[in-house]
Amino acid sequence: MTGIPPMAYLPEGFVLASTLLVFLADALGAQRRRVFGGISTLLLLGAFLLVLADLRVYPLAALATLPASLVGGPASGPIVFTSLGLIFQGLFLGVALLVALGSLSEGELDPGAAIFYGLLGLATLGMLLVAISADLIFLLLSIEVSTLSTYVLVGYVRRDSRGLEASMKFYIIGALSTAISFFGASLLYGAYGTTSLAAFAFPPAGGLGNLALVGFGLLMVGLGFKLTLVPFHMWAVDVYDGASPPVSALLSAGSKKMGLFAFFAVFIAVVHVFNATEGYALLVALGGLAVVTMTVGNLQALQQHNMKRLLAYSSISQAGYLLLGIAVATPAALSGATLLAVAHVLMKGGAFLVVGAATAAGVGVTIEEYRGLGRRLPVTALSFAILLLSLAGIPLTLGFVGKFYVFGAAVEAGGWFIFLAVAGLLNSALSVFYYGRILRIMYMADAPGEGPEPTREAPPTLGISSTRGVANAPPPRGGVLRAEIRTIGVARWGVILGCAVLTIAFGIYPTPLIHAFNAAAEQFLRLGY
Amino acid sequence: MLVSPLTLLLAVAFVGAGATFFAGPKARWVAVIFSGATVAVVVYTLTQFQLNFTLSYQLLEVNHWFTFAALPGAPGISVDYAVGVDGISLPMVLLSSVVTLAAVVYHWEEENAPGPFFGLLLLVNAGVLGVFVSLDVLLFFVFWEVVLIPMFFLIGRWGGARRHYAAIKFFVYTHVASVVMFVALLAMVFLGGWGTFDFVNLYGLQTLNQSALSSVTQVLLFGSLLFGFGVKLPMVPFHTWLPDAHVEAPTGGSVLLAAVLLKMGAYGLIRFAMPLLPVGREVLTPLIFFLAFLSIVWGAFLSLAQRDLKRLVAYSSINHMGIVLLAIGLWTQVGVLAAVLLMFAHGLVSAVLFMVSGSMHHAYGTRDIPSVGGMSAYTPRLSTMLMVGSLASLGLPALVSFPAEFSAFFATWEGLGLLVLIPLTALVVTAAFYLWMMQRLSFGPPRGSTLKTHDLPTPELVALSLMVALVVLYGILPFLVAQYIPASPLFHIPCFSGGGGVCP
Repeated sequence: MTGIPPMAYLPEGFVLASTLLVFLADALGAQRRRVFGGISTLLLLGAFLLVLADLRVYPLAALATLPASLVGGPASGPIVFTSLGLIFQGLFLGVALLVALGSLSEGELDPGAAIFYGLLGLATLGMLLVAISADLIFLLLSIEVSTLSTYVLVGYVRRDSRGLEASMKFYIIGALSTAISFFGASLLYGAYGTTSLAAFAFPPAGGLGNLALVGFGLLMVGLGFKLTLVPFHMWAVDVYDGASPPVSALLSAGSKKMGLFAFFAVFIAVVHVFNATEGYALLVALGGLAVVTMTVGNLQALQQHNMKRLLAYSSISQAGYLLLGIAVATPAALSGATLLAVAHVLMKGGAFLVVGAATAAGVGVTIEEYRGLGRRLPVTALSFAILLLSLAGIPLTLGFVGKFYVFGAAVEAGGWFIFLAVAGLLNSALSVFYYGRILRIMYMADAPGEGPEPTREAPPTLGISSTRGVANAPPPRGGVLRAEIRTIGVARWGVILGCAVLTIAFGIYPTPLIHAFNAAAEQFLRLGY
Repeated sequence: MLVSPLTLLLAVAFVGAGATFFAGPKARWVAVIFSGATVAVVVYTLTQFQLNFTLSYQLLEVNHWFTFAALPGAPGISVDYAVGVDGISLPMVLLSSVVTLAAVVYHWEEENAPGPFFGLLLLVNAGVLGVFVSLDVLLFFVFWEVVLIPMFFLIGRWGGARRHYAAIKFFVYTHVASVVMFVALLAMVFLGGWGTFDFVNLYGLQTLNQSALSSVTQVLLFGSLLFGFGVKLPMVPFHTWLPDAHVEAPTGGSVLLAAVLLKMGAYGLIRFAMPLLPVGREVLTPLIFFLAFLSIVWGAFLSLAQRDLKRLVAYSSINHMGIVLLAIGLWTQVGVLAAVLLMFAHGLVSAVLFMVSGSMHHAYGTRDIPSVGGMSAYTPRLSTMLMVGSLASLGLPALVSFPAEFSAFFATWEGLGLLVLIPLTALVVTAAFYLWMMQRLSFGPPRGSTLKTHDLPTPELVALSLMVALVVLYGILPFLVAQYIPASPLFHIPCFSGGGGVCP
C-alpha cells in the first residue's frame, strides 16, 4: 500500500468533489438543474479522462512490467490497482457521465436535481472503490456505499408512489443480500484466516473445507442479488420499472457492472481452485446460474408488454451471459465478459434513456405505444434499433463481438462448457423474438392516427401534430429532426445517438478494446484478483 | 498490403447501400448508379481471375482484425479481414450483383419510402457479396447475419398482407439456424485445435489434425452444419419459412431471397461441412440423399397443388435446391460443378419468375392462377416472359437450367445408379405443373378483370429483358460461367468421394 502514489486516487477525489460541490451549491441556494448537472458532468468527465490517462500511463500491452508498488502483494492492504480495475473504473465513470448528461434534459426546475446529481456522484464513488479493492470486507463496504445511494435515488421523487414502493423493495432486498454477503465473508475469514482476495487463490491447508464452500456459496447468493441472477432477480424488474429512466440506466448499466466486478474479484481466482478440488459443485452452480438466468430472463421478457419491464428482463438475461464468462474463467472468457460489459453499458444505458426520451415525447409505457416511433423520432428510433440489434447479438455491433468472445471462450475451453455456449446461443436466438417485435412495432406499424388503428390525438409536445391530418405530406426532413431534438432535449438526444454510434464503431473495429482487455484479463488471472 | 478488387467491391456495395438509404426521393438514381458500379467491379474482377489457377483462392487480401485470446500457454488466434474468390464463389458474386441491379430497375416506380427500400436491397446484396468473398470464419458469419436484418425489414415493411408474421418467422428461423451453424464452426476450429479462422489454412491443416476430431464429434458437427445450412437452402423439413417469406416479401425481396440467399446455404455446405469433416460426411451422406430426394419430390408435388403463382414458384425453389443438395451430397467433381451451375441457373430463372409474379399482380390485381386466363392476348410481353421463365425452370435445352440439370442427373447416375429415377420422375411433375400453369394463364380463355390490364411497364420490361437475355445467353453458352468453377482449390485436391475421402 505504501507504493501507491496519492495521485492515483485523483479520480475518486474528483467524484467525491462532485458530490460535495453539488450539495454545497444546493445549500447556497442554486436551483437550476443546469448548475448541478454542469458541476457533476464536468467533474465526472475529469475523473473519466484521468482514468483514461492512467490507462495510458500503464500501457496495457506491457503489463508484465507494471511497477510492483502499483500491483501490490497479496497482503499489501485493502487496495490494489489492476488494469482490469482501471478499465472498470473507466466503465463506471462512463455510465455516470452518460446518466448525468442524459438527464440534463429533464425538468429544469426539478427540486430533486441536487439530490440526483449528488447521489449519482456518491454511487459512482462506491463503484470506483469496488474496482480497486483487494480485500473482501473493503469490497463489500464499497458496494454498500454505492447501493445506499441508489436506494435513495430510486425513491427520491416523493410524489411517485411507484418509485417509493420500488425503493422500499430495493432497500429490503438489498439489506438482506448485504447480510448474506457479510455472513459469507465471516465464514471465509474463519476458513482462511484472512479476507485478502489474493489469498483465496491458494486453498487453505487441508483443502477447501465445508466452511469455505458455504462461505463462497453465500457470497454467490449475496452478490448474485447485485448482479440480478435468477433466482435473486425478483427485485430488479420492479425497481427498474419504478425508478425514473436515468436511474434505471444507472442501475442496469452501472450497479450491475459493479456486481460483475465483485464476482470477478471474488471468484476468478478461486475458480481454478474449484476446478482442482471439491469446489467443483460451486463451478457447476456458477454455470447453472448463468444458464438459468439467461433463460428465465429471456422467457420473461418475451411476455412483457411494458417497455421498461421488458428491458429489465432483457438486462437480467444479459447478466447470465456475463456470468458465463466468470464460470469459464479463461483469459478469453474474462476479456469477453468485459467486452460484453462495455457493450451492455452502451446498450442498456442508451435504451433506458430512449425510454425517458419517449416519455418526454408523450409515448406511454407499453410497447404498443412505440408504434411508428421510426417516423416520429427518427434518430432516436434508429439509435434504439441499433441498440436492440446489438442486444440481440447481431454482427457489426459491439454486442455481437462480446457474445462471440464469451461463447467462443466457452467452446475453446471445451468439455461441458460447450453446453454453456450452446445454451447461451440458443438464448440469444430466443431473444430475437422480443427485440424483433419492438423493431416491427417501431418501423412496420403505422403511427397512431395514420393507419387503420383507432385515431389517437398526438401529444401536443411533439410539435409535428399539426401535419397529421395532411395525407401523404410528411414535414421536411430538417423539420422533423428539429422537432425531435426540441422534444427530447439536445443532451439526451446526443447521448442516445452517441451510444448507438459507439456500439457500431466498436462493433466494426473492436481491436483496441480487445487488445487492452486481453492483456488486462491475463494480468488479472495471473495476479489472482 | 495490396488492396484486392474485392475490397473495392465491398466498399462500393456498402457505401452504395448507405448512400441510397439516406438519398430521399432521388434514391432510385443513386441505387442504380451504385448497383451498376457493383456490377462493373464484378466484371473487372472476372477479368482479373485466372482460369487455370487452382492452388488457392485468388485476389487475396488479408488484414489482421483482432486477436482471440487463447488458453494459457497457447498463442492467440488471429481473426482476420480476409477476402478472396475461387471458381465456386465467383459465379455467386456475379449472380448476386446482376440480380440486384435488375431488382432495382424492376422497382423503379417504388413510391413507398424509396430511399430505405433501395438502400436495404443494396445492403442485402452487400452482405451476400461479403458472404461469398470472405475467407475468415468470423467474417463469413458477420456478413451472413448482415444479410438477415435488411431482409427482415424488406419483408416486414414493404411486404404483403401477412408481412409481419412472415418477417418474424423468417428472422427467427434463419437466425436459429445461423446460431447452430456458428457454434458448430467454432467448435470445429477449437476442438480440432486448428488455431486459425482462415479458410486458406483450414484446408491445409485439416489433414494434420484428422485425429483431433473424433468420429462422433465429426458426425455431431456435420449434423449441426447440415441443419444450419439446410434451413437456408431450404431442405425439407426445415423449409416452412420459405413460402411465407417469399410470398409476403415485395418482388425485389423475393428475387433476392430466391436468387441469392438460398445459395448461401449450399455454398456453406460446399465450403465447410463437406470438405472439412470427412468422417461426418461419410456417415451422414445417406441422410443427405434422403433429404435431397424428399425436397425434390415434396417441392414438386406441393408446387402442383398451388393456386398462387408466387407460391408455386416458391415451392419449385425447394424442388430445385433439392437437386442442388443431391449434387453436393454426391461430392464428386461433376456433382459440385453441377451444383454450382444449378445454383447460378436457378438464381437467374427464379428472378425471372418472381418478377413475372409481381408483374402479374400489377396487371391483373391477383396472382391467383385459376382466375386469370388469356394472358397471351391481353399482355403478350408478360406472357412471353412467363413462358421463357417457366420453360427455363423445367429444364428446356438452350436455356440456362438445362446444362446444369443435365450435369446433376449425370452425376447422380454415376454416383447412385438407378436412384436417378427419383429426381427424374419429379422432373416430370415439375414439367407438368409449369405446363399446366402456362396453359391456364397464357392460353386459356380470357378470364378475370381484363379491363384495366396493362402490359409490362418499361422498368419491369427492362429488368425482365435483362434477366431473360442472361437466361438465354448462359443457356446457349454455359461455359461462360462453367469455365470458372473448376478454378478452385476444391477441384485441385483429391478430396472428393473416391479420392480417398481426405483433402490433403
